[in-house]
Amino acid sequence: MPDVRVLIVDDEPDIRATVSAMLEIEGYRVEEAANGADALRAIERQMPDVILLDMRMPVLDGWGFAHELRERGHRTPIVVMTAARDAARWAADISASDFVAKPFGFDDLVSAVERARPAS
Amino acid sequence: MSALELISLVTQALFIGLFLVVLRDAVRNRTRAAVDTTLLFGSVAAVVAVARLSPILFGQPPAWFASLLLLLLTLAPYAMLRLVDDFSGTPRFVLAVGGAVYVAIAALGFALPAQSQLHQLAIIAWFLAVGGYAAIAFDRARRRTRGITRRRMRAIVVGAGLFVGAIVVLLADAMTGERTIALQVLAQVAGLGAVMAFFLGFAPPSWVRRAWREPDLRAFLESSVHLVSVGDDHLAVSQLQHAVAAAAGADGASIGVADPQESVIRYASQTGEWLTYPDDAFIAGAAYTQQRRVIAVDAAAVDPEHAQTYATTNARTVIAAPVTRDGRRIGVLAVYADRAPIFIEEDLWLIELFADHVAVLLEARDLARQAGLLEAREEAARLKEEFLSAAAHDLRTPLTVVLGQAELLERRVASDPSRPVDAAGVARLANEARRLRDLVSEMLDAQRLEQGGIIMDRRLADLRDVVEAIGLRHGDDAAAVEVRAPADPVPASVDMTRIQQVIDNLIENALKYGPGAARPELSVWAADGEARMAVIDHGVGIPEAEQDRIFERFYRASNAQGITDTGMGLGLYICRRIVEEHGGRIWMEPTPGGGSTFQVSLPLEPVRDDVESPADQPSWTPSGGAEAMVDA
Repeated sequence: MPDVRVLIVDDEPDIRATVSAMLEIEGYRVEEAANGADALRAIERQMPDVILLDMRMPVLDGWGFAHELRERGHRTPIVVMTAARDAARWAADISASDFVAKPFGFDDLVSAVERARPAS
Repeated sequence: MSALELISLVTQALFIGLFLVVLRDAVRNRTRAAVDTTLLFGSVAAVVAVARLSPILFGQPPAWFASLLLLLLTLAPYAMLRLVDDFSGTPRFVLAVGGAVYVAIAALGFALPAQSQLHQLAIIAWFLAVGGYAAIAFDRARRRTRGITRRRMRAIVVGAGLFVGAIVVLLADAMTGERTIALQVLAQVAGLGAVMAFFLGFAPPSWVRRAWREPDLRAFLESSVHLVSVGDDHLAVSQLQHAVAAAAGADGASIGVADPQESVIRYASQTGEWLTYPDDAFIAGAAYTQQRRVIAVDAAAVDPEHAQTYATTNARTVIAAPVTRDGRRIGVLAVYADRAPIFIEEDLWLIELFADHVAVLLEARDLARQAGLLEAREEAARLKEEFLSAAAHDLRTPLTVVLGQAELLERRVASDPSRPVDAAGVARLANEARRLRDLVSEMLDAQRLEQGGIIMDRRLADLRDVVEAIGLRHGDDAAAVEVRAPADPVPASVDMTRIQQVIDNLIENALKYGPGAARPELSVWAADGEARMAVIDHGVGIPEAEQDRIFERFYRASNAQGITDTGMGLGLYICRRIVEEHGGRIWMEPTPGGGSTFQVSLPLEPVRDDVESPADQPSWTPSGGAEAMVDA
């Protein structure tokens, strides 16, 4: 799976590190952002193929980030990554392509990213 | 017909009309006062009727006829004397003397020749003496009343004065035989004034009644309407009793709240507790069980079983009315006074109206309480829901790391067992597992507090140790907190572990909600018999509307939720419960310039020198320390 770039947006450093390690071992190229604002700066540098997005974050939350992303005309697939029970509804709220509920294991995470990423 | 004759005719017609009205009232409501009122105006009406009829009957009236008129007329002062007794009580001998004098004057009228000056003088003296006495007595009675009864009594005082004045002037004028026109006019005008005043006093028209009742009702409504929202039942009922008594002009009022299941009525006592009696006890109980008003002019005679109670509360007369609404028996209202009611119909009307208002107020309180309960239950359910979702959420986040790292390890071991372990990953795994443990114990703490408290191992301690230990427990955080402690010890009897937990929690909050702001401060000091600790941060602060609620279970300030996902809304709740179990207080106030200041106050232990400090503790009691040194 050559060159699938995933941006991980989560305010918990441990979550970012864990998810990064999980995806890297599967061969993805990973970048991290600590909140929505951080993520906007990251996509300016390089647009990822999939965005793994936590919803509740300080500075700019998942809703704010998704809104801004669509405002800028990007159709990048988003996978919502949350511990809340409302994961499905929140994913629909921001027109995300999928969601993965915390706590998730390898299979859940990888299959969600695989489903979301554009066919190459 | 001259103007004078016209006035006379109107006056006489009014007296007859008044007689008919009071006669009707007396038939309806056969109290002694009503009968005596009828006697008073009956005598006057009889004089008028007989005087008007005599020319038709006799042409030239016989000599005894004048005596008969005077006999009827002189009955009026005697009736007045009896009314005084009804309204305010007259010594028995006065009544007896009055009766004897009346008989003597009557006898005199028939014994002496017609138009005898002696007889006429005696009648004038009789009118002046009794009329003056009655006017003064009525006025005394008036002063003890209030509201419409007071106004009616004032009219009666004026009426009695004018009536006696008119009769005396007429008799005096007749005695002189000159028929002075000025005196005639004076007498007729005074007579007209008297009958009008009597009308207002004894039989006020409904529009006058309405106007005279209005101030009392307004006062009652104004003083009672807020009672719907008074939280304490006893306080609300006591205040309602005061409002009823004041508006009714009674010495006191008693409101009983019925409990139909237990067949009892609870009365609010003066001393702040509820007195429970069987629901048929007292005159009030009779009104409640029979669902009708009860008037006991002599309460002790009507209910001898409780004579003692009536005597101690000065309740000579009791009027009770059921407090009922749409057929639901809510309770009973009893109004009592140390005297008989003057115009019983006014009191009855007022008390039944008050009973209706009391019913509405009590029912409104009940509805408000039910609404409050429902709201509280909904709120509790909502909080529990939020808690469950927050708890689930809070547990899932560390669990994600634990699961992810565990699976990573699993894969790495499977693919290449000889590869060195990922130290950072293992550290994350352990960290998050500890976080899970902390969350679970926080939830258990909250649960245990809810069920009756964490067992406290309280010992005398110096609170300076708590703040100084902050560095030892918080590692890197210690540099981020500015600690201030006094030179002298701050002794308090505490469960050290729990008090440390409180301070840790406050410090964690300060760091969590004030990233990038100035360093939070932690102070300890003694003031006003209290040991105080404060954690001052310069972070986001707490919205004013929510400041009271942050210590509630599961409550999270609205602006905390965007900052971090980790709070469960239990930290401050646990802090409050721990501090309260120590007999202390915890509160929050805004830090000037932004942020929050949390203060903890615990009872300061007195500095005692009779207690030996344990050897392993620093002996911080100044005198105790000195003695220890001497002993050594």
